Amino acid sequence: MKYSGRYPNKCGKFGDFGGIFAPEVLMPALNELTEAFEKYRNDESFKKEFYQILESYGGRPTPLFYAKRLSEDVGCKVYLKREDLLHGGAHKLNNVIGQALLAKKMGKTKLVAETGAGQHGFATAIAGAYFGMETKVFMGEVDIARQAYNVYRMQLLGAEVIPVKIGSKTLKDAINDGLRYWITNVRDTHYLMGSVVGPHPYPLLVREFQRVIGIETKKQIMELEGRLPNAIIACIGGGSNAIGIMYDFIEDENVQLIGVEAAGEGLETGKHSIALGLGRRGVLHGSLMYLLQNEYGNILKTHSISAGLDYPGVGPEHCFLKELTRLRVETATDNETLASFQKLSVIEGIIPALESSHALACLEKIKGEFNKDDIVIINLSGSGSKDLNIIKQRMEFKVK
Amino acid sequence: MNHTNRILDLFNDKNALEEKYFMPFLVCGDPSIEQFISMIEKIDPYIDILELGIPFSDPIADGPTVQEANMRAFEAGINTKVALDTIKKIRTFFQKPIVILTYYNILIQGSETIESSLDNTLRRFKESGIDGIVIADLPIEEAGLALKYCKKHNISLIFLIAPTTTDDRLEKILKEARGFVYLISILGVTGAREKIAQITKETIKRVKSKIKTKIPIFLGFGISTPEHASTLVELGADGIIIGSAMIDVIKRNLSDFTKMEKELVEFVSSINNAIK
Repeated sequence: MKYSGRYPNKCGKFGDFGGIFAPEVLMPALNELTEAFEKYRNDESFKKEFYQILESYGGRPTPLFYAKRLSEDVGCKVYLKREDLLHGGAHKLNNVIGQALLAKKMGKTKLVAETGAGQHGFATAIAGAYFGMETKVFMGEVDIARQAYNVYRMQLLGAEVIPVKIGSKTLKDAINDGLRYWITNVRDTHYLMGSVVGPHPYPLLVREFQRVIGIETKKQIMELEGRLPNAIIACIGGGSNAIGIMYDFIEDENVQLIGVEAAGEGLETGKHSIALGLGRRGVLHGSLMYLLQNEYGNILKTHSISAGLDYPGVGPEHCFLKELTRLRVETATDNETLASFQKLSVIEGIIPALESSHALACLEKIKGEFNKDDIVIINLSGSGSKDLNIIKQRMEFKVK
Repeated sequence: MNHTNRILDLFNDKNALEEKYFMPFLVCGDPSIEQFISMIEKIDPYIDILELGIPFSDPIADGPTVQEANMRAFEAGINTKVALDTIKKIRTFFQKPIVILTYYNILIQGSETIESSLDNTLRRFKESGIDGIVIADLPIEEAGLALKYCKKHNISLIFLIAPTTTDDRLEKILKEARGFVYLISILGVTGAREKIAQITKETIKRVKSKIKTKIPIFLGFGISTPEHASTLVELGADGIIIGSAMIDVIKRNLSDFTKMEKELVEFVSSINNAIK
């Protein structure tokens, strides 16, 4: 399958998905961003500067770690791509360094971002501090309550955290308010989108900045095993860690690509975030994608134990890859996720983010499909240190 | 059922652009369906076109005032079906043009495909009695399907133009614009402001210089007083759109509907006087 370089097209479309469904006020800024990105994406000095920062400041390349005890436990060879070891504790750094560097080249002096779990907000605050750019982070009140530690970390880095009090008070509402702020301050501010969602060119540029994960992974697995993996598993909220690790494997048709959505409290409860699996086509935040919505087109409240997966849509490229049947979509519930979280902590000494624990939970569910020599790579997109409060509450609750 | 289009009729007169027009905006169903219909009847004599918001759960181009109005309307039970019924009821007494403002996702649900949904939804809105539509998150680049079905159902697709709209895009927009163009007077989301930006003056001038056909320019976003309205018509606006300042009147008087209607009538009549 010839895929690479074809999507998105000039209009930002991945098949029917994606596009630019944005208020008129933002159109010039989006076009300006597209032009700047096209100018710099193949500029050797820009690329060099980007990778150099990720290496010396971020800690790239991150290890591809053979998880021996987990492998024995599940019955196939499991490798973990350790994005949790990146500066900031998650893959988010790749994207924020890329976008902030681009914004700086464009002459923007301020950054504004949304955040769900707080990971992207924290990463944006890091980039803001690194590049000396004033940073505002919009965050839903519900998320602020469940991620107090991350809020404090952002503030320590000098960012202003602005509580979002409308709607479901989570990620989607933080994006709404962040975009509203950008609409009003578009001349000097760059909107630093945290995932492969939003109007063109965001799904493209976030993917390009996150691709480093997959490029490294491919090189590392060839060095370690001399062959490609049988499967790559990654969690999907907006989808940036998934597309980051998967993009450079799309044309390797023998590599299964498996995305894991948050089944929350279970499909039957309606409290989940299974946009790819159960959503209908629609337009939200500037892009056509699968959305959890009611019959009239209003967006539904979603649920996941991990704030980073608590989003009613999913990146347009994932929608397209699903339609091409290139992406397999699985789910993991909160409880399945917690069990896998606990298992990895105990048997490998690695505390994974709740988001990434969904990918681990998926492997647990489908491990019977793999033989002992099969290679499965899991994108361990973030560290669980941000989630300790939630874990503590839930685990104690379970013991009772 | 392709009724005539009341917007096109209104502006068809060759002296139409000598006049000034007032188009207030209210969210359909705010604060309740019955009260909303009653308010329209009261303000009818003082307005030229009525703009109704069909609420969307995630309105990124709207400020807090409209967002809160949306929430009240949702609580009152608004959705596409109820909005259609409400417009039909308004049409039993209201003869002037009606424009709806909504977000694209509201229009592309309900049938098998996005295209068939759009066809179907626009047909139903036209049958309910609307004449024009503003889609807050649909730029000209994505408007192909909407243009096709608005044409089919004789609805004016009204485009927004911002102070930041570049000249080449302005030309593309003006080429497809029907009814009137909706000029955003400020860089920002909807919501009442205290001052009219200098940028507005330049934008009106720039848009006027590009217009080849006889299409009126309506100004909206941030206009809150009769003084704003008269200043803007002096600067060359053909029409004035006021939303958040109207909704503020509703919000202030939620506990007293009689007072709400009285103040709303006073407000629309003051705007009407200021521009005519």
